[in-house]
Amino acid sequence: MVDYALIGKGIRRVDTTAKATGEALFSADLKLPRMLVGKILRSPYAHARIVHIDTSKAERLPGVKAVITGKDVPDERWGVFRYTQDQRFLPVDKVRYVGEEVAAVAAVDEDTAIEALKLIDVEYEELPAVFDIESALKPDAPLIHDAYPGNINISVDINVGDVEKGFLESFYIREDAFEAPEDSYFQGEPYAVVAHFDSSGNLEIWMPNAGPHLKAKPLSNVLKIPLNKVRVRKITIGGAFGGRSEISPADVICAFLAKKSARPVKIVYSREENSIATRQAHSMKATIKTGVDREGRVLARDITCYMDGGAYSSTGPIAVSVPFLCMEQAYRMDNVRYRGYRIFTNKPIRGMFRVHGRAFACGIDLQLDLIGKELGFDPLEMRLKNARRPGDYTPTKSKVVSCGMVEAIERAAEKARWREKWDRLPPYHGIGIGCNSVQTGFPMGIRGGSQAFIKFNEDGGVTVITGIVDNGQGNDNMIVQIAAEELGLKVEDIQLINADTEVTPSDPGSYSMCETFVGGNAVRLAAQDAKRKLLKIASEAMKVEPERLAMRDRKIYVIDRPQEAISISRVVRMALSRRENISGEGSYWPKVDSNREWVTNPFGQLSETFSFGAVIAEVKIDPETGKVDVLEVTAAQDVGYAINPKVIEGQFEGGVAMGGQGGMLSEKVLWYGGRVLNPDQLDYMVPIAPGMPKINDIIVETNDPGGPYGAKEAGMSVAMSAAQAYASAICNALGVYIHEFPLTPDKILKAIKEKEEGKNR
Amino acid sequence: MKRNVILRINNEEYTVLTKTNRTLLEVLREDLHLTGTKEGCGEGVCGSCTVLLDGRPVRSCLLLVTEAEGREIKTIEGLAKEGRLDPIQEAFIEHHAIQCGFCSPGMILTGYALLKENPRATEEEIRFAISGNICRCTGYVKIVEAIRSLSTSEGRR
Ligand code: FES
Ligand code: FES
Repeated sequence: MVDYALIGKGIRRVDTTAKATGEALFSADLKLPRMLVGKILRSPYAHARIVHIDTSKAERLPGVKAVITGKDVPDERWGVFRYTQDQRFLPVDKVRYVGEEVAAVAAVDEDTAIEALKLIDVEYEELPAVFDIESALKPDAPLIHDAYPGNINISVDINVGDVEKGFLESFYIREDAFEAPEDSYFQGEPYAVVAHFDSSGNLEIWMPNAGPHLKAKPLSNVLKIPLNKVRVRKITIGGAFGGRSEISPADVICAFLAKKSARPVKIVYSREENSIATRQAHSMKATIKTGVDREGRVLARDITCYMDGGAYSSTGPIAVSVPFLCMEQAYRMDNVRYRGYRIFTNKPIRGMFRVHGRAFACGIDLQLDLIGKELGFDPLEMRLKNARRPGDYTPTKSKVVSCGMVEAIERAAEKARWREKWDRLPPYHGIGIGCNSVQTGFPMGIRGGSQAFIKFNEDGGVTVITGIVDNGQGNDNMIVQIAAEELGLKVEDIQLINADTEVTPSDPGSYSMCETFVGGNAVRLAAQDAKRKLLKIASEAMKVEPERLAMRDRKIYVIDRPQEAISISRVVRMALSRRENISGEGSYWPKVDSNREWVTNPFGQLSETFSFGAVIAEVKIDPETGKVDVLEVTAAQDVGYAINPKVIEGQFEGGVAMGGQGGMLSEKVLWYGGRVLNPDQLDYMVPIAPGMPKINDIIVETNDPGGPYGAKEAGMSVAMSAAQAYASAICNALGVYIHEFPLTPDKILKAIKEKEEGKNR
Repeated sequence: MKRNVILRINNEEYTVLTKTNRTLLEVLREDLHLTGTKEGCGEGVCGSCTVLLDGRPVRSCLLLVTEAEGREIKTIEGLAKEGRLDPIQEAFIEHHAIQCGFCSPGMILTGYALLKENPRATEEEIRFAISGNICRCTGYVKIVEAIRSLSTSEGRR
């Protein structure tokens, strides 16, 4: 065990004092001189041709400084991959969902901007629309994009081993179908953008983002200005949860309004706009056929999965693949076929979500429960028999270097006293378990690496420069904790410049769960680079070999004679007097297979390492009301190494709230055709403090050989497995297996009723 | 219609020339630059706009600015005294009750008001008091812990 000064300690986060006093600025808090208010006109139709837009009346309204439509924005299309670029930031031909951007204004105040929107005349020709997967796939369904016949956006087909043979050799086979409607992010902060051009044509822009560099490139493309003129600035961000990584039409619209008006412009989304016009999570139907041997070990799986992608491609290929990839990582399955389809409908666009694909993940686990019931194994045994182990390869050929799946399951079971409770709980009480695994980054080509710089001042203080972004999960603190540890400094000696594309080098962003692993490694290497320079100078001054020196408490000292020490600031000044600067550079490129491609070649190392989580939930159901009372949740995850255990606990607890409490008990988007009926936290039922269960956090450490101090992804495995554990526990309490999520009281009452009727029959 | 509205905020007096149909939240954020008070929904659901009116938590997005005249308003900016954080702010930081921080100003003020009214608040009372403040990040565990650490009730951690 290494004796770290700061790593592994639950120190206070560096960013939270400013957040506790109201000092921290979020995008909507910014105010620039002469700033205008921007507002977006949105489509009232789910599918319609835009015949004509007349903005003349709006332009004549006093106080209006700019009006733009699709004609003002070059024909650059968005989609994460070259082959999925299908979304214009302001459409010219047609609109494809209720809420799509049609035109925008910038005016001196909000009232004028709203008035101006009313004065824009848009002539639409309404087209037939489709709102679900089945209707979108009908042969006579209206085509949403000409380039995608049959409204099929993406198909992924993965076929590994010999599935037929696996089924032939199986002792028991069953097939089940599971489904879940759309869910949504509900980040605390509604989306907001501020944009401003200077007279040299440099764009400054602030918005919540999960990677400033991921925003800068599409902005540079559509604005036709070089990357070094796109300055996505650092700003406090009120949550992302898998969203906010892609460019938003609001970013582009705000920039064009600022350009046209030659004044700064701010657009602040309403809560409703945040719910319909950013991203939602996919609805999904998954059919899972699984064959097992006598012992309950999976011999073959055949999975077909349909996801409703809404109106545009967005992260399409990633979104279709990730539900499967998480499960092929979590569980051993040698013979497996996965067919995933993302279907276009006239609904808001779907992206990546922290609890991505709940129908799929809960389906896999509930089916294991059902199989176990048939064979006489409890859910815990079923998980253990099939759990991923270190050294394995996943079906799509990623090596699993470190893996604490079994340890996470065992420790959760022990803490939750599974073996005492299983089969011994009173009626309508249940216990269940879910397991999941999450990537630590994806192959991202030229954007897959992170670089960091360290600058030393003559007084021994340091500035760290990195592209890592903090969405609220504590990444700023992670950077500082690492740099301070490596350089033997105090947290307060470190200043941070990050997530600012003018200054900071490229970084893959936080949405693929890789900031600690990839960005953290780069920061650590940069610090080590500076440290090497300091130790060289110190070693000459102290006449000891650099290998015998270490840094701690702002000093460089001889390891076996700690009293022989020299202050770091002195060594920096010695260097400067020798005309040498002390700085550091580090970059990290994760070891992934760059030939891996989501659709055409879904094989090879997907991510350098993976996290593994197991959650156990214990519930009590009121058979009169169908209400679920969650008594206790135990969340265990292999995080590699806990750089800051308090931060990780916070991720676990937030994950249980979002994935389990919300994701399985209440959260779903309600529809009237293409209209969202519950765009607000109340009707969507975001979890609130009363009713939350007691949560036990268990941090499992496997010391990943590639991670900084052994760390990897922290928290998302818990969010996903919480949904699965809740589903498993509720079905255990009912003795009935429900195949449609979330498990709301209506479904629970129906299940109880059907069970009673079944008994009486 | 515009008129001068006199507001007493964090022990200082402000005169604001404003239309009378604006909310206290708008005036705080836009006219007085007190942007610590957040707008998470604008419709009374999320609690991120919470301020204290005569010591009681209210949703400033639901309150017309004129309704706040003659009352004592406290925003998150007024909690620290002479550069020293209030114990509740310290507790939120120490207990890692803040992640993205968007809900924090409203949450902290709600906790502050609760403890003033009920210094022995139990876990259940705390959960009830913050039930109108939505946090999407933390799962509330550490928020409850932070408030509870200042309560003098039995069995606090
Ligand atoms: S902004 Fe006032 S309650 Fe949400
Ligand atoms: S800390 Fe993000 S909403 Fe509460």
